[in-house]
Amino acid sequence: MNAVTGSTYSDSLAVAAKKKVASQFFKKGIVIALFSGLMYGFYSAFLTLGMSKGVWADWYGAKTVLSAFVITYLLGALGSAVNDTTSAGWALLNVGVKGKMGDFFRTLKTKPGQVMILAALVGGPISSTAYVVGLQMAGSIVIPITALCPAIGAILGRLLFKQQLNKRMMLGIAICVIASFMIGSTSIGGDAPEGMFLGICIAFIAALGWGFEGCVAGYGTSMIDYEISITIRQVISGLSNLIILIPIFGLLAGDIGLSADLAVQAFSSGPAMIWIAIGGFCAWLSYMSWYRGNSMCGAALGMACNGTYSFWGPFCCWIVLGVIFGMDGWSIPPIAWIAAVVMVFGILLIAMNPLDLFKKGKQMDDQKIAS
Amino acid sequence: MNPLNYAILKHFTRVDEACAEDVIEALKGEYGKFRALNRKDVISSLMTAEANGLIEESRFEMDAAGLLRIYYHAHEDGANTINKYIKD
Repeated sequence: MNAVTGSTYSDSLAVAAKKKVASQFFKKGIVIALFSGLMYGFYSAFLTLGMSKGVWADWYGAKTVLSAFVITYLLGALGSAVNDTTSAGWALLNVGVKGKMGDFFRTLKTKPGQVMILAALVGGPISSTAYVVGLQMAGSIVIPITALCPAIGAILGRLLFKQQLNKRMMLGIAICVIASFMIGSTSIGGDAPEGMFLGICIAFIAALGWGFEGCVAGYGTSMIDYEISITIRQVISGLSNLIILIPIFGLLAGDIGLSADLAVQAFSSGPAMIWIAIGGFCAWLSYMSWYRGNSMCGAALGMACNGTYSFWGPFCCWIVLGVIFGMDGWSIPPIAWIAAVVMVFGILLIAMNPLDLFKKGKQMDDQKIAS
Repeated sequence: MNPLNYAILKHFTRVDEACAEDVIEALKGEYGKFRALNRKDVISSLMTAEANGLIEESRFEMDAAGLLRIYYHAHEDGANTINKYIKD
C-alpha cells in the first residue's frame, strides 16, 4: 500500500516514523477518551458540591418551602441547566480566544452542524429528562441500566458508520458494562415503586440517547473541529434546558413563573456558582474529550474508555466531597475498586488482542483496531 | 466560506492525493489567517478523517528536511460522504 521513495536508509526511517505516528495517534485517542471519564467524575463532584451551597442549601434543607415535585424534578433539571450553560460559557471563551468563533457560527448552518445540534438535544435535555423521570418512577435500579450506553454506542457505530465491531470487542464491551453494573448496583435500594417497568423503559431511552450522542457526535467530529463540536453541544444543551425544559417542569409544578425565579436565584448565588463554574469547566473538558476520543478511536473503544466515569464518579466525589470537604457518606464501596480492575481488562480487550502481547515481532499496526 | 475543517476535507475531493503540507499550501490563500491552519492541527484532522473512513493513506515518505509526509486520498465512498454533508 505504501510506495516509499528514496534510499533504503530513508525508507527505513520513513517506515519507523510512520509506525510511531500511527501508534501515537491511537494511544492519544485512548488517553483522551479515558481523560473524558476522569473529568466527568470531577464535574459530578463539583456540581454536587455547588448544589449543596448557597441558595441550593436552603432549597434542599429541612426548612425548604418548595414542594417535593419541585425539589425532585425542577431542581435536578435546573442544576443540569446551570452547569451546561456555564460549560457553554467556557466553550465559547475557548473558541473566541483561539479565533474559531466565525467557524462556530458557520458550522451551525451546515448539515453536520445540524446533526450535532440533534445529538446535543438527544443527549442533553431528552436523555437527562428520561433519566430523571426513570429514576423517579423505577427507583435507583435505573442507575446501572444507563451503563448500557457504551454497548448501544458501539452497536450504532457499527450500523450507522460501519465501524469495526468483532466478537472480541463485543466481549470487552460486555465486560465493561458488567463492571459498570457492579458499581451501579451499590446504588440500588429497596425503593421500587409502582410503574417500575415503565420507569426502566424510560431510563433505557436515556441510555439509548447517550449511546446515540456518543456515536453520532464522535463521527461528526471527524468533519467538525472538536472544539467547535463541543461548543455546539454545550450551547444547545444549556439553552434548551434553560428555555424549554425548566419552564415545562415549572408548568407541571403549577407555576411557570417559579422556574424563572429559581433560575435567577441559582445564577446569582455566589457561594454555589464558584463550584458550579469549576464543574462546568470539567464538563466542558469531559464532553470535548468524549467527542474527540470517539472520533479518534471509534465509538466502541471511545465509549468504553469514557464509561470509566462509573468508577471516576464515586472516586472523585470521595476525593472532593469526602476527603477535601469532609462530608459524610462519600466513601467508595470495595466493589468499585474490583469493578475498576474488571473495566481495565474490558477496555484492553476492546483495544487489542491480549494474545498479541505474547507474540514476538508482531506489528503495532495489527493491534490497531479502530481505524 | 466553509469552516476550515470542511475546506480541508473538501480539498481531497478535488485532488488525487495530498499531504498536510499540500493542504496548507492550497488553503493558505483563503484561510491563511486561521491559527488552526498549521502542520500539527492539519495532520490531526487528516488522521481523524482517516480513522472514520473519509480518506485513506496512499503513501508516505521522508522529505528533504527529514519530516514524515503522509499522503491521503479520498476513495469513492469517502468522497461521496464528504460531498453529501459538505457543500461548496
